[in-house]
Amino acid sequence: MKTIFVLAAGLLISSTSALANDYPTRNIEIIVPFSAGGGNDVFVRALQPVLERELDTNLVVRNVPGGGGAVGLTQASRLPATGYNLVAVSDGTLTQVASGNVAFGVDDFTFIAKVLQEPYLLAVSQDSEYQTLEDMQAAIAEGTTVRVGVSGVGSSAHLTALAIADALETEFSTIPFDGGSETISAVMGGHIDAVVLGGAELRSSMSSGRVKALATSYPERSDALPDVPTFQEQGVDFTTSVFRGIAAPSGIPEEVNDRLVEAIEQAVQDEQFLRSAGNLGTDVETAYGEELEAFIQDLAERMQQQADRLN
Amino acid sequence: MDLLSNLALGIETAFTLENLLYCALGVTIGMFIGVIPGIGHLAAISMLLPLTFYVPATTAIVMLAGIYYGAQYGGSTASILLNLPGTPASAVVCLDGYPMAQQGRAGVALMMTTVASFVGSFITVIVLAAFAPPLASFAVAFNSTDYFSMMLLGLVAAAILVQGSPVKGIAAVLLGLILGLVGTDVSTGIQRYAFGLTFLYDGINIVAIAMGIFGVAEVIANVGKVKGVQSAQKITFRSLIPTRQDVKQSIMPMFRGTGIGTGVGILPGTGTSIASFLAYAVEKRISRHPAKFGKGAIEGITAPESANNAAAQSAFIPTLTLGIPGDAVMALMLGALLIHGITPGPNVISDNPSLFWGLVISFLIGNVLLLILNIPLVGLWVRLLKVPYPLLYPSIVLFIAIGVYSINYSHMDIMLVAVFGVLGCLMLLLGFEPAPLLLGYILGPMIEENFRRALMLNQGDMMVFVERPVSAAFIALSVLLLAWSAYSMVKDRRTARMAAGQ
Repeated sequence: MKTIFVLAAGLLISSTSALANDYPTRNIEIIVPFSAGGGNDVFVRALQPVLERELDTNLVVRNVPGGGGAVGLTQASRLPATGYNLVAVSDGTLTQVASGNVAFGVDDFTFIAKVLQEPYLLAVSQDSEYQTLEDMQAAIAEGTTVRVGVSGVGSSAHLTALAIADALETEFSTIPFDGGSETISAVMGGHIDAVVLGGAELRSSMSSGRVKALATSYPERSDALPDVPTFQEQGVDFTTSVFRGIAAPSGIPEEVNDRLVEAIEQAVQDEQFLRSAGNLGTDVETAYGEELEAFIQDLAERMQQQADRLN
Repeated sequence: MDLLSNLALGIETAFTLENLLYCALGVTIGMFIGVIPGIGHLAAISMLLPLTFYVPATTAIVMLAGIYYGAQYGGSTASILLNLPGTPASAVVCLDGYPMAQQGRAGVALMMTTVASFVGSFITVIVLAAFAPPLASFAVAFNSTDYFSMMLLGLVAAAILVQGSPVKGIAAVLLGLILGLVGTDVSTGIQRYAFGLTFLYDGINIVAIAMGIFGVAEVIANVGKVKGVQSAQKITFRSLIPTRQDVKQSIMPMFRGTGIGTGVGILPGTGTSIASFLAYAVEKRISRHPAKFGKGAIEGITAPESANNAAAQSAFIPTLTLGIPGDAVMALMLGALLIHGITPGPNVISDNPSLFWGLVISFLIGNVLLLILNIPLVGLWVRLLKVPYPLLYPSIVLFIAIGVYSINYSHMDIMLVAVFGVLGCLMLLLGFEPAPLLLGYILGPMIEENFRRALMLNQGDMMVFVERPVSAAFIALSVLLLAWSAYSMVKDRRTARMAAGQ
């Protein structure tokens, strides 16, 4: 009887801080603002089992697709900042903000962790007349307009294609498609000259040998794609990458943030997760706290510049 | 023989106890999901995706694939019994399936659609086993110009779906096309008719339209009709058995449907709905008795049913051999494979032969299982009609609401179903048909997108549509079809006038 009383009293005293200290005490819901099967979705699903083990709770993945991520992100930005509502974020999140058509900003989210990154690739069909970036540059010099397929107008891949065109000192004729698979299918069939897409999305068609990457946007060649030269080593000043990470509605308690960072730090060292990430054609490249904040600010500014040019 | 040893490997893989069990589980879940209006296989598959972490890749894919093609079997059940398509692809089965049920031939219709599903799937799986890589190359060779012309043919075919007044039919198609404009324009990224509402950014959910104009409209239309035609029927075993005539009339339509479904299914981004609509249009056009269509013609259910099952199976061809998923469900399965370190592509056949051939054999097993599962269930489904209206219809509305919500987790989609239910009811009262509207909605955005892309790629040269042989063939067919329709309309009118004169 006495113990119960003491316990109850203790609970009362610590109830305010207990909320954060005991986190998590129930299921955590994570919104993926895309339909199942996309890059963000696969990332979260690879992380889910390991993170569940680290946090000792259930992670409920909820796909909220629509508007290139706008619907899910809008929803997520309005949820209570308790740490029980998370959202999967990527470059697309910042592109959405840059487009100016959405009801949320970068400040509406607390970015908890950057987990994965992948390069953007400029890729062509295996039997393309451009077998190297040099071939393409030579054709451009002769006045050819290269037709480049992108998935979605104003998407981050589209903005990246524009930036690549700048770096090559030309203008692409950008052909928008509905999704990555239609774009890849069109380049395979030779209906367009090239595509700009994320490395993960191109992975299966590249390993089939039907699509060949001319350049990667990483500053250095990656272990996953050792044969793909960088833009820089081919004399084109262009580097960028796609990132995938986890965020929460802004204003989550600091303890909760710390607990999540700690769990994600552990999770990304898990062998199962590393294997999944490698299989997906992505690299584990983490950032947290201030480093992440600086990264996001920088990326947001660059996206804004590109988006402003588009309008 | 190489194929034989491959098949042997496939049999060895597919016939393990674990794979058999998961295959049976998958097709059973799929079948029930298909039967319940509105609940899509996408939701079911994404819910079961985490399971793939705990079982081997082949087993996981065998089950997920089973849900996918199993749902195609069940989709037509509610179309036939209640005029409520379980999936958008089976909306066209309503046209003749529901009249059959009203004539007391629901059992026959269900039996024949099961057989048609089986025929369509089985043949396509064999095609997949034998010709997957060359077919994949064909899919890639199709460009925007060809897509446009094919869709145009589909739109012309929509005119054929019309049963009553041609003017009302065309009006319905146009309304469908207009609804298709809502959402983000693929070519410019601009939102059209979205009114700043985020749930409209990706367009109106097709399931909401299909469930509204077919399902909810039907429920509303039945209010007050105390006793349905069917409830008085006695269900005897005999009433479930198709006549020899039914079987004879269905053989060729099933083969044609399978051919159309296989062809459409391998093209990424087209989907099973177009396959079943096209198959229906073809049957109606080449039939010697087109007047029978819409009044319970058996060809009108068997051809589209074979087509949508064939399309569901052939959709695996680009996914497995090129790594290009044809739709969201395929993308999900591709993701599952990737997590397991299997990269789909031509190499999947050489690097992971047990996966590829095991999957192919599991398709065959799954389809046989579906056939066995479905036939005894026909009797049970038909008994559904005995459930009194005040119990049956409200529960249907509930299922529709749950199903539509499960797609995007958006309550606005449920509101849309209600709006389209009212619209569907108005259309019903005024004698407009819902099927042409749905087809216009499906084809409109694809036609526009591919038309604009084709012109973008060819500097606005319109001649490109007749210069490419594939596209030219589709255009020629469309023109012929239009001319034929116009001719037969004039002829009918003249016959009618002469008949009236006498």
